[in-house]
Amino acid sequence: MRIRWLLIAPAAALTVLAGAAAAHHSFTATYFEDRTTEIEGKLLQFMFRNPHSFVHVEAPDENGQLHRWAVEWGGAGQLAGQGVTNQTLRVGDVVSITRNPGRDPSDHRIRMQYLRRNSDGFEWGRNPGETFN
Amino acid sequence: MRYLVVGVALLTAVAAAPARAQLNLVGEWTGRYHEDQGDRVPGDVQGDFTGVPLNDAARKYAEAFDVTRVAVLEHQCQPYNVAHIYRGPIQFRIWEEKDPATQEIIAYRQFSGTYMQWRTIWMDGRAHPPAYVPHTHMGFSTGEWHGDILTVNTTHIKKEFYRRSGIPSSDLTTLVEHYIRHGNLLSHVMIITDPVYLSEPYVLSQEFVLMERGNQNWLYNCTYVMEVPMDKNDVPYYLPGRNPFIEDSAKQFGLPFEAVFGGAPTLYPEYQPALERLMTR
Repeated sequence: MRIRWLLIAPAAALTVLAGAAAAHHSFTATYFEDRTTEIEGKLLQFMFRNPHSFVHVEAPDENGQLHRWAVEWGGAGQLAGQGVTNQTLRVGDVVSITRNPGRDPSDHRIRMQYLRRNSDGFEWGRNPGETFN
Repeated sequence: MRYLVVGVALLTAVAAAPARAQLNLVGEWTGRYHEDQGDRVPGDVQGDFTGVPLNDAARKYAEAFDVTRVAVLEHQCQPYNVAHIYRGPIQFRIWEEKDPATQEIIAYRQFSGTYMQWRTIWMDGRAHPPAYVPHTHMGFSTGEWHGDILTVNTTHIKKEFYRRSGIPSSDLTTLVEHYIRHGNLLSHVMIITDPVYLSEPYVLSQEFVLMERGNQNWLYNCTYVMEVPMDKNDVPYYLPGRNPFIEDSAKQFGLPFEAVFGGAPTLYPEYQPALERLMTR
């Protein structure tokens, strides 16, 4: 029985993902999907849009050097279905982000996996369905 | 008496049947991504050219392609063309345009949520326009039924890509589609011909499922922004031989790069002995 659910769950997830179609570039080709790291910093810009939203955050890298990180998130349509709006994040918010690093480190381009706003504990990325394509 | 009832029922059924269209394609359809999931949803690994009969021109293009080029302002909202759009995350609606006098189907219309693309498949026997007519992402389509299969021919398609990792399509691409319905499933077969970038037809298939409850998320308000801090005039590319990711897919799956980049000969079972030789080299 457990195996059956294991098979059904990914199939159901794929169907749900398909409901809010986005498309753009290949995530697999752009990011190291098997690696995750974390940044914490101040939100500079929130672009709630299609094909994908972007969050720009000023945060230090592993060596303590400050960078403007471009964090790729879901498309507006897809995030709207998960309760995220263009008012969810504000400039100046201090956020922690777990992300997949980009293949070209000089881009400082990363892919959102999990976000937490420190001031009120708002979270995205841990609940079922909080994903994007 | 029993035969009379059966006979009347049969006659009624025949009279109610549509004159031409064999199956009803009307409805809202969404992808089932079990087949080629990686290519269709998250996108493929850089350097995955397997299954594509690419020619030397396509190889040169793919070698120079940097996947971050789609972040350039001019490309962010560029729709997939009709030979590619069914290969990404998509839902689409099909409806019929009928002649009010005869009730015959003049055209099938489609609207896809991805990039909000509109498409018409003319069913009234009209000819395709001359070659100089402007091309669009959805092209110019005519269709006809062959038994229970709707076959669609499309020309006048704008250039784009067959894969997001940089396999290009040209504006001489033509597309033949087969729509085959099985209950609530729709099999969609594409046969793509491209004299510029393909050495032989590229055949793909994908499945769609009827959305019984529909979907309210049909809008795609794409806006241009500086996604990544960069010079807005910069166009990412690689010089020949300098693409550091070109062999990523071959390495990930343990395949010889010659096989991944080999084009049409690698698509057939006859290639297996050659592949084995390369693997044992």
